[in-house]
Amino acid sequence: MLEPSLFALSWRVTRRRLSGSPLAALGALGLPVLVVWLGVVESYATAAKFFYFLLPHVFLVAAQDAVRSDIDSGALENVLFVGGRFRGYLASKGLALAVAVSAYATCLFALISAWGLAAGAFEPRSVVRFALALVAGLYYLAWAGALSYLMRAGSNVLAILLAQSAALIGLVLSTTSRAGLLDYAATGRFPGLGPKLLFGALTALLPNVVVSARLSVFTAEVLAGLVLAVLVQGRLARGLEIRHS
Amino acid sequence: MLEVQRLAKRLGRVQALRDVSFKTRRGTITAMLGENGAGKTTSLKIALGFLRPDSGAVSVGPGIVGYVPDRPAFLPGLDGWTILGLSRVRGGGREASGNGRGFGAAVLAAARSLLFDPSLLRRRPASYSAGNAKKFAYLQNLVLAPDLLVADEPYAGLDPPSIKRVRDLFCGLRQAGKTVLLSSHMLAEMERIADGFIVLSQGRTVAHAGLREWRLLRSGRTGPDIESVFLRLAGP
Repeated sequence: MLEPSLFALSWRVTRRRLSGSPLAALGALGLPVLVVWLGVVESYATAAKFFYFLLPHVFLVAAQDAVRSDIDSGALENVLFVGGRFRGYLASKGLALAVAVSAYATCLFALISAWGLAAGAFEPRSVVRFALALVAGLYYLAWAGALSYLMRAGSNVLAILLAQSAALIGLVLSTTSRAGLLDYAATGRFPGLGPKLLFGALTALLPNVVVSARLSVFTAEVLAGLVLAVLVQGRLARGLEIRHS
Repeated sequence: MLEVQRLAKRLGRVQALRDVSFKTRRGTITAMLGENGAGKTTSLKIALGFLRPDSGAVSVGPGIVGYVPDRPAFLPGLDGWTILGLSRVRGGGREASGNGRGFGAAVLAAARSLLFDPSLLRRRPASYSAGNAKKFAYLQNLVLAPDLLVADEPYAGLDPPSIKRVRDLFCGLRQAGKTVLLSSHMLAEMERIADGFIVLSQGRTVAHAGLREWRLLRSGRTGPDIESVFLRLAGP
């Protein structure tokens, strides 16, 4: 399905799209600005905590406008995509986006690590937390990509953000379980199936929580969700037809 | 070069194709005719792989397939030169001598042959007029150097001088042994250049004739002109 020429094409399109999107630029630059500000007014440790927790959302913001816009614009009904090649293009576009955002995230990680080393505050387990943040970010890319087969540009990301907001509001309002659930998450130990299932549901919506590295079961859940989203995308791409005009 | 057999396709509640079969031969121009909604565009999109048939089969011979849609659209954010460069990669760069200068010269020559202003290549095709977008779609296909060129409403949006250039392009491709399949409502124009005709009506192939058979259909009492023949074949 993936061809080198298609990857070159999707890489070019993805690069132009990311560089021309104010929202993607805001997401990409907003995080380092916030982290530096936290480091100055608080401490490196606080800044690093926020960095690893919020890094997956850079992936999420970049995942707007993945598929549906191309379909609706008619651009896939082009000679470049005859013979069903538009499916390969969409697959390689997802891959190009993952490579681009992962590369950017790695650059940010290198910078924050250098800052930590210079300040004498760098912890080796940060590498694990970064890897987990990457997994959570790719999870966002995969699900937002799958949603973009069905929803217009930006709506896919908005739907995820709304679901997250609803889940967090629900958590805040559920006064009986809130404190307990957060305590369990902080220790990584959940007594009984109920709190585990509840936290599992929260993780599915907000995979950022796995960056604490104490929640290996839930990291496995995010990995499984990532694989599932990739399979769902493949199925959606296989069934896709270009009916524009 | 292209053969479709017994295609059927439902689009939502509409049975767009019921039984469409046809064949195009190498080194010929074939015209696909039919009323609005007869299934021409759906047949072409299935042949090109944009749609999947509910039943039937498509067989495309070896080589590169080109396509000019009725209303061409292009990837947003890319200028004309970039899109042509990407098309070159798709075509294996076989249109030029291999270096960038050769490619650029080939593009400029092709643009001039289509009466397309080369300075437009620095702009994004989304900003082109309908006619220039159509000419740019032809240019993109020329870069690919297709063995089979499929064009839906090949003259839509073009002015008379450009129509002549595009007609010359089709004839040039035929002379070079390439295959051209055109879907059009411009009956007289099709009869002027086509070697074979496919007539669709209500999702079915109602006629598939070579030039000789077509002339027979036209001759004598059956139909003094192409319009009469078409109305007789496609009519209720």
